[in-house]
Amino acid sequence: MKVGVKVLPRPEVLDSQGRAVEKTLSHHQLKINQCVMGKYVVLDVDATDEKEALEQAKKITEFVLYNPLVESFEMEVI
Amino acid sequence: MGSDRKPIGILRFLGTNCDRDIWKAVQSVGLEPQWLWYQDRFDPEDYSGFVVPGGFSYGDYVRSGALASLAPVLGCLKEANEKGMPILGICNGFQILCESGLLPGALLKNESTRFIDKWVKLKRVNASPYFSSNEEINIPIAHGEGRFYCGESTLKELQDREQIWLRYSDNPNGSVDDIAGILNANKNVAGLMPHPERAMKKWMGTSDGYSFFASLADGGLQ
Amino acid sequence: MSLEQRLKVYRLTEAEYKKICLLLGREPKGVEWAIFSALWSEHCSYKSSKVHLKKFYNKNDRVLESFGENAGVIDLGEGERVAFKMESHNHPSFISPHQGAATGVGGILRDIFTMGARPIALANYLCFGEPKVEVMPHLVDGVVRGIADYGNCVGVPMVTGHTEFNASYNGNILVNAFALGYFGPEDRVFTSGARGIGNYVVYVGAKTGRDGVHGASMASESFDEKNEGKKPTVQIGDPFMEKLLIESCLEVMKEDLVESIQDMGAAGITSSSFEMAAKGKVGLNIDLQKVPMRQSGLTPEEILLSESQERMLLMCTPEKFARLKEIFNRWDLDAEVIGEVIEGSQIKIHWGAELLTELNPVDVVDHAPEYKRQYSEYKSVNKREKIAPSKFDKFTFRAAENINLCSRDWIFNQYDQRVGASTAADCSQSVGVVELPHSGRPLGIALGCRPPMMRTDIQLGAYDAIAYPSLQLSSKGLQPLAVTDCLNFGNPEKPELMTEFVASVEALSKACEAFDTPVISGNVSLYNETLDKNVTSTPATGVVGLGHSMEKVPKDEFCVEGERAFLLRCELWSGNFYSADAYNFPVEFTGDWDKEKVTQFAKDLQEYVNEFGPSTSNVVGKMGALFELMTMSQSGFSVHLDKPLADSMCAERLYEVIVTAKSGDEFKSFWQKRNVEYFDLGKVMAEPLKVDGNLVDAHWTSEPFHKQLGLE
Repeated sequence: MKVGVKVLPRPEVLDSQGRAVEKTLSHHQLKINQCVMGKYVVLDVDATDEKEALEQAKKITEFVLYNPLVESFEMEVI
Repeated sequence: MGSDRKPIGILRFLGTNCDRDIWKAVQSVGLEPQWLWYQDRFDPEDYSGFVVPGGFSYGDYVRSGALASLAPVLGCLKEANEKGMPILGICNGFQILCESGLLPGALLKNESTRFIDKWVKLKRVNASPYFSSNEEINIPIAHGEGRFYCGESTLKELQDREQIWLRYSDNPNGSVDDIAGILNANKNVAGLMPHPERAMKKWMGTSDGYSFFASLADGGLQ
Repeated sequence: MSLEQRLKVYRLTEAEYKKICLLLGREPKGVEWAIFSALWSEHCSYKSSKVHLKKFYNKNDRVLESFGENAGVIDLGEGERVAFKMESHNHPSFISPHQGAATGVGGILRDIFTMGARPIALANYLCFGEPKVEVMPHLVDGVVRGIADYGNCVGVPMVTGHTEFNASYNGNILVNAFALGYFGPEDRVFTSGARGIGNYVVYVGAKTGRDGVHGASMASESFDEKNEGKKPTVQIGDPFMEKLLIESCLEVMKEDLVESIQDMGAAGITSSSFEMAAKGKVGLNIDLQKVPMRQSGLTPEEILLSESQERMLLMCTPEKFARLKEIFNRWDLDAEVIGEVIEGSQIKIHWGAELLTELNPVDVVDHAPEYKRQYSEYKSVNKREKIAPSKFDKFTFRAAENINLCSRDWIFNQYDQRVGASTAADCSQSVGVVELPHSGRPLGIALGCRPPMMRTDIQLGAYDAIAYPSLQLSSKGLQPLAVTDCLNFGNPEKPELMTEFVASVEALSKACEAFDTPVISGNVSLYNETLDKNVTSTPATGVVGLGHSMEKVPKDEFCVEGERAFLLRCELWSGNFYSADAYNFPVEFTGDWDKEKVTQFAKDLQEYVNEFGPSTSNVVGKMGALFELMTMSQSGFSVHLDKPLADSMCAERLYEVIVTAKSGDEFKSFWQKRNVEYFDLGKVMAEPLKVDGNLVDAHWTSEPFHKQLGLE
């Protein structure tokens, strides 16, 4: 079963990559309110149901994929 | 000096690239360096101190320092910390110490999003008992993810407990409170983004980094 | 597929096809088409240039390995040797700047550590189009980030670079990467010739994917508007994997577990296996099904042509394989046996039980076509008996407006210049200098070829591509020892371009002989043209020099108060070069190559610097001596000139050197005996540059570079 994990910088932390994209877009007259850049990780786990899959994915994410100090994450079964 | 001391353990991970430079620096102050491979376990008592060198452990994939902080060798380094032994993390080594929880905070992508290599002026805010430096020094930085970040309460703690070790005179990367290096509460663990091992001799630019290693040889530690 | 279609797909001419049939005694079949296509491409076979490359001055007592190996090697004495080479990655970098430039660095590093040398220095030579061209900022940004991402991660310091801008590169940029590796007294030089019947053929490193298929033949084609569709052939680099390869390969070499080794570069496993077999005059049995693959469904042809990065092919004796595999595994790498060395002279390529082809590597490699492309004798068109010298106030204060004249610190501050803790002079200096680990002597790297000189006159430009970096090394007290080159030219099928190519090679070679600096390695990149427009003929060079004392390497800039500054002038040519580009001065020059004069000047400079240890010594570069003085004064130290002296320093003269002296008398007694003019510029003070009492603004280069490109 596949779980998608979305890891994004927390709003209070300066997202330098997102800001760089915003600036570049504005140079090309492409208007956006904000750009936030993070990463998307796909985990293929052995699980019998969604709940179990999400639990496993959460464990893995908390183990290494995200740093609670500067990032937050969301998960979805895909 | 130094000859009767136990060796200094230098940690090596896949992707570490300042390991040989640290080896030279440790030797140049009369100490014996010894490699500690990331899969090794070791007895802290066999060493007199540890350096976690810079580089791109695991290619900086996931987050810089994140994958290295899970290596077996870190378990023993944590034991060494519990015994109050001196541990110095430089650049990627600093990132690894933060990721492993030996130091507070995190290191994020530079504000400019670019790698920065240049000479920077540093001011010593609080002295480290093990890694001495002059009050004002000039040593180089070379990093893409060196922006020190911590929440307001942690920052206040760092300030109150005199854990801020070094500050940039001219902040190159957007670090909180111009922080270039910090100490743990017990002051035996130190981390900094600049590279003292690249400023050991006048022809390198300055020799301001020498004392960081020399003090390991003459410090009051066993 | 008709024969005509087939020839088009595999980029072979009808004459080449006939030659293949003659060599094989039959029609080529199956994967043979792909093998000949790759190995007979311009990129792999040097078919247009080989006949002229043989003319290079390429040997002296120091040269241990030269052309034919992955990189040249020279002896430095005291048991120390270095391997170095420069290579182009122009086409991939134009299509995908970040990956193209990154894999260029990866490739040149593999050429170095393949020889058994630890890479200790990188350099790069870049030519971009005008900043106003829409894609140019993106290309500059991507190339610089690509080089930085790769070089910084593998941990090899970037110690020097050269970046030029000109309209001729608008549709075809140049990205040339240089790498240098070190052998200590204990280290053996490894070569690529396969040997030892029964030895294993071992594949190490990243798994093979579909990336880069047909890359070698792409690099041999001119660009056209349809190139956008070619993106899939650009390879993706993984510097972390490269770092593991460097450390593990050096370790297995140190334990003497390897018989011969070569990296998989252009045309991947095909070129490495055929070249190794051809050199060793042995046969190979290879099973392509045993090649570690990243994705399923790869065809034998795709495996043969894949240019997936970070892969090596080596041979070892069966007894040593277990230990070899153990070391690679310790570095998280796989080592797989994919075949063996066999008697005879055939390479047998299998797909499991099926024999796909049996070819004699000598037929494919050594009998590749060699063309004598049409050319004529080069004639200088811009040479004059005499030219009017340019005037001081015409351009001095407009310097910052021209991107070719501003500081490149925005670029090199993105490169790790000090990893290795051996860098004495970084990219801010004209010569990159590192410390040799065993002897502690300084080793310098200077890059040559100034495109404005090439545009003025091909012969002058090619002489300058050796003389200028050699003098730069000499100005630091280093003796130039050997050269690598990267010959970037347009379409060789056009006689006027071939004429420039031949004239360049001949002038380079003459200059190398004069300085006794043999060409020991290099690369040719032809077909640098887009929609019929050729780039400036650009034979980039890397010259390596050796000195005596790390403490004695002088700086480019003024740095010690109280020394006396002098201008030394050894004039071969004068003309409008950079000033022609920047200010539309007429393209013209006067003067001649003078071998004795310039080589004696180089020796005198080395002697002066080593004997008297000046703090500052710097060859005048762009726009003449006054302009150089302005850049040298940015340190906060400078001299005061009167107007006549300043005026006399405004023409572009080859060659001038600004050097300091601890004692003016010592300086004079040394140089009076020599055939060199000098001018006293006065005492170095902790003050800005003044002319006739007026301040000359020395901060005119502050940050315009990336702003001109609209980059942050």
